[in-house]
Amino acid sequence: MFLAILAGFLLAFAAPMLYRWLGKWVYVPMALLPLSIFIYLLTLAPAVLGGNNLGEVQQWAPSLNINLHFFLDGLSLLFALLITGFGTLIMIYAGGYLKGHPLLGRFYLYLTLFMTAMLGLVLAGNIISLFIFWELTSISSYLLIGFGHDKETSRSSALQALLVTGLGGLALMAGLILVGMAGETYTLSELLERGHVVTQHALYLPALVLILLGAFTKSAQFPFHFWLPNAMAAPTPVSAYLHSATMVKAGVYLLARLTPVMGGTDEWQYTLMLIGGITTILGALLATQHVDLKAILAYTTISALGLLVTMTGIGTAPALEAMVVFLLAHALYKGTFFLVAGNVDHATGTRDLTQLTGLSGSMRFTAIAALLAGMSMAGLLPFFGFIGKELVYEATLEESPFRWMLFAVSFFSGMVFVAVAIAIGYGVFWRRAVKATPLQHPDKAMLYLPPVILASTGLVFGLLPGFFVTPLLRRAAEAMLGVEQVFELALWHGFNLVLGLSLLTVALGYVVYRFSNRLLSYANRFNGIYRLGPANLYQLSLKGFLAGATKITAAIQNGYLRSYIAAIITAHIALIVLSLWKDGPRLELTNRLQELSQLRMYEVVLLLMIVPALIFLFKSRSRLTSIAVMGIIGYSMALFYILFGAPDVAATQLLIETLTVVIFVLILHKLPAFRYLSHASERYKYVLLSLAFGAMMTYVILIVKQYPLDSQLKAYYGENSYLLGQGRNIVNVILVDFRALDTLGEIVVLAVAAIGILAMLKLRMQKGDKP
Amino acid sequence: MKTVILAVAIRILIPIFIIFSVYTLFRGHNHPGGGFIGGLIGAIAFVFHTMTHGPQQTVDTFLKINLYGYPRQPNQSRSLYLMRMMRVNVWRRRKMAHHPEIKERMIRVEPIYIIATGLLLAAGSGVVGLVFGQPFMHAYWADFYIPIIGKPGTPILFDIGVYLLVIGVVLKITFVMSEE
Repeated sequence: MFLAILAGFLLAFAAPMLYRWLGKWVYVPMALLPLSIFIYLLTLAPAVLGGNNLGEVQQWAPSLNINLHFFLDGLSLLFALLITGFGTLIMIYAGGYLKGHPLLGRFYLYLTLFMTAMLGLVLAGNIISLFIFWELTSISSYLLIGFGHDKETSRSSALQALLVTGLGGLALMAGLILVGMAGETYTLSELLERGHVVTQHALYLPALVLILLGAFTKSAQFPFHFWLPNAMAAPTPVSAYLHSATMVKAGVYLLARLTPVMGGTDEWQYTLMLIGGITTILGALLATQHVDLKAILAYTTISALGLLVTMTGIGTAPALEAMVVFLLAHALYKGTFFLVAGNVDHATGTRDLTQLTGLSGSMRFTAIAALLAGMSMAGLLPFFGFIGKELVYEATLEESPFRWMLFAVSFFSGMVFVAVAIAIGYGVFWRRAVKATPLQHPDKAMLYLPPVILASTGLVFGLLPGFFVTPLLRRAAEAMLGVEQVFELALWHGFNLVLGLSLLTVALGYVVYRFSNRLLSYANRFNGIYRLGPANLYQLSLKGFLAGATKITAAIQNGYLRSYIAAIITAHIALIVLSLWKDGPRLELTNRLQELSQLRMYEVVLLLMIVPALIFLFKSRSRLTSIAVMGIIGYSMALFYILFGAPDVAATQLLIETLTVVIFVLILHKLPAFRYLSHASERYKYVLLSLAFGAMMTYVILIVKQYPLDSQLKAYYGENSYLLGQGRNIVNVILVDFRALDTLGEIVVLAVAAIGILAMLKLRMQKGDKP
Repeated sequence: MKTVILAVAIRILIPIFIIFSVYTLFRGHNHPGGGFIGGLIGAIAFVFHTMTHGPQQTVDTFLKINLYGYPRQPNQSRSLYLMRMMRVNVWRRRKMAHHPEIKERMIRVEPIYIIATGLLLAAGSGVVGLVFGQPFMHAYWADFYIPIIGKPGTPILFDIGVYLLVIGVVLKITFVMSEE
């Protein structure tokens, strides 16, 4: 499993190169990778379906208890097969969809990166690595949505998706750490057995809130649903793969994964049911208000995600069964629909439902795929979607205080799904039209094969539910429930209440479809409500955030070097005075004054050089004089170092002074004439500040010298400099050997500073540029 | 700034400066000196040159390598071609420079490359330890002794990195400031 992930990352970054070598054939290796992982997972499947959970550990940061655990049980297997199987088709599809695009290599890089991250997410056996893969999916989704980066909308949509899911990701990290603290382990397999410990823990509630925030943002639940329709700015393969089949289901996966750990409590159940229910209704309602194919699909996806969350929230055995079945069914038909929408868009140049008619003649295979997917989505009899819907109805109709509300929610969404299925699966292709929408190019095999395969899978699963699907889904539901499950999927349950309700849904759905034009005419009436919607709140808060950041930056970074230095020094003085005031030792001045009599002659001479020079510097009105005087002060300082036995420091000081003076002289004649720009009082303020700083430093040094210096370090370096460091110059041995890492850091700073100076002086801002 | 005395003097002084800076670099391990100080001394030489001759002249004199070459003939063997190229570039430079077939190529050593090389050497000296399973920056010393340089070892490599980086940084700053 580790190798699969590693191969994914390697191939992802090789994609641009492969594109250069292979041209349009680049899709072959890119599709082979998910295919081979898919086959590899199938070889593991018998063991997992036999009830053994597979694990694998790679040491990563054992000291932090973070390892690369991989963990494969029924639930992960279901998702992993979905990701790789669907991924194979998408890779082929993308090759046809973006054929000839100059950035196809980059596209494959992002897409493979995403696929690998998603695979890592569902295979992760450690909640920290799960989180890391989770964030990787957010980032790669950002890159994929913003793939058409020359368009303003894709950029802002990408940013929106990143901000919303990234915010959720942060919350999720905090939540997962809290769960780890409550369960005292980060390993998933251990955590799964400590559910009762976690739910009783004091940290349960905050952890729950944070994790739900993460899951809801990722799975586009109300009130974070608004990013998903905007994310449709991405190329269609991305919408199909990320925003219907896999990434948005990561939130559902997380909830399912954590059901044994955190589920079963009232808080869990009610929140999930409430939010999921609202999302279901809202998504279904909004889907009827659009004519753009992809927008409709996006809103029905939101609705389906809401239904999945609701099912997870109910948490009973039938509900969880219904959830996994519906999840698979939804991925199959919604993925197909997205691919079909992409085909239609590619061939006709429009996605407007009202303009597309009679395409069955010109796009035969796409039309068949759409029909199959539509029948599955509508829940017609021999299809997998039918089984899913039956189970959902059954689960909602179970004995519970909310049964009618839950049923109403699923019934309503089912009705809209039928209407949408008819509109796309039938209306676009098969409805008789006076004049079919003209094509810009004929249907291509690379574009229609993936949806056909996907749609027929839905049919095969529906006809043969017992073949592979039942054991897989059973194990998946088991992973959530934690107990052995026995359920058989069957197409035909006999004539009962649920079947009648199914038929009623289809009938009512057809009615909705007939009146969809009238529903669309109401679209404008809701504009007032949209203004208060979360999408607008997001815009407002983003604007406010940026404005606030601009203000703070303008206040703190005013561009005057003197005010930065003044701020640093003031803070320094304040901190030291504060700590000395509280519990600092008192200075004994009497002894110190006596020591003054031992001053040597040359020390006095140096003092007499430095102090008048400083005063002179302050009064000087010529730059050349100032530089020369600065040089005097610097060299005198170097003399001090020599007197006190620090030749290395002295040499450095001398050279730096020389360089400073030389460089100053170099640019002297280029500077503008010397002028006083500030008022005299301003300058006296700085004099006071520097006096205070000097006084404070003197005081600190005096206090330090008051106590005998008992440093073991000095002795250690003295002893070992030659023995270990092979050098007799202790200073240099410390610099390049004992504490070489510090020096490395310093020289990196130096290099960065050089680049910074270059940027500051060379890259002038053009008029009108943004800072 | 054109001062004849300094301009003449610096030409003679530059080799001395550079030799002294290298000497300081290598003596640093046992006596006062080291990469930082050595680098500063080396940089001062160039800075003085820039001061008297201008940055363009400094670059032309010290930081540019002229390479001469011509495209390989289809029937010429590779080794012969390489030999010819080496001859053109090493011991017949002056004579061949004006040959009609020979094309001139210039390699300009940007100070930023010197900085990068220095950083690479310094960081690379630490990686040696990693390769042999020791912690980053673990020191390795050779057992023999080379005159002037002393015992070779990874800390010396680190010091050379510092030396190059300091020269590069000072040169970069000087060039940027004086080119304005």
